[in-house]
Amino acid sequence: MTPARRVTTQELLGRLTFSAEPWMSCDECFEAVDGYVEMLLAEAPDSIPGLRAHLAACSACLEECRSLLLLAAADAGVDPGRALERLGNA
Amino acid sequence: MAPCDTDWVVLLSTTGPGHEAALAKLHGLLLKAVRHQVLQMYGRLPTIGVVRVDELINQAADEAMVAVLGKLSTFQGRSKFSTWAYKFGILYAAVEVRRSMWRHWDVDLASVPEQPGHGLVPEEEAEGAELSVAIREGLEKALTPHQRRVLIALLIDDVPIDVLADRLGTSRNALYKTLHDARGRLRRYLTQAGFLGEPTSRVIP
Ligand SMILES: [Zn+2]
Repeated sequence: MTPARRVTTQELLGRLTFSAEPWMSCDECFEAVDGYVEMLLAEAPDSIPGLRAHLAACSACLEECRSLLLLAAADAGVDPGRALERLGNA
Repeated sequence: MAPCDTDWVVLLSTTGPGHEAALAKLHGLLLKAVRHQVLQMYGRLPTIGVVRVDELINQAADEAMVAVLGKLSTFQGRSKFSTWAYKFGILYAAVEVRRSMWRHWDVDLASVPEQPGHGLVPEEEAEGAELSVAIREGLEKALTPHQRRVLIALLIDDVPIDVLADRLGTSRNALYKTLHDARGRLRRYLTQAGFLGEPTSRVIP
């Protein structure tokens, strides 16, 4: 299945050569993501740069992190807007 | 009323008063997370029918339940217990939905596309042609066959990482490492070839 996605060569280059540093694995990302989401919702400064880099490089982990953020925000009765905005830059 | 975060671990890990109720409450949390995730991805789910969606939800919640109980000792209170538990429901639901989306599709793991930029917008084609050739050369020369097929499947063909892991008999974690290394090799190749400057990465606000 190859979706008919239209991308520029530069976009393709960015995607193929993206540098996700500092290194963090998917398992380490999963370990930390719940604390990270609550940190974003509390509008605290980002203290896990490796996780942020991982989310920018791994679409599956990013999708799950975004979803967790929405659910945690709904539970806490807070607006996820600002936190989503920060995550959207990943 | 939900137990407080330390009570959760005690109640779930010892068979005493409140254990069964805590198990039921945990299952409720996981069902909530799974349903939430399925809803998030619903537009991408193939038309599989209400019964199959229900099966998928229950299967993901059951798998998440086993995972949470197995990992209970690793809960360190860095988040609320509910947020910690939700992430398992979300993970297992997302993996199930991705599998479901791709269950009838072959994943081509053998070929390198003639033009890696095969989806280019027309006005970009001319100026992108030289770069496109360099990318193709980089894919062929800088990467191992395994790295090449992983990079192409994940980043050009948009195969979900969990689906590719299933087809290759490996894990998301291992494939991400392969992807990371392959990107590094391609980056070095294209930098030496004069197509890249500083590493491509973004600053986190
Ligand atoms: Zn990941």
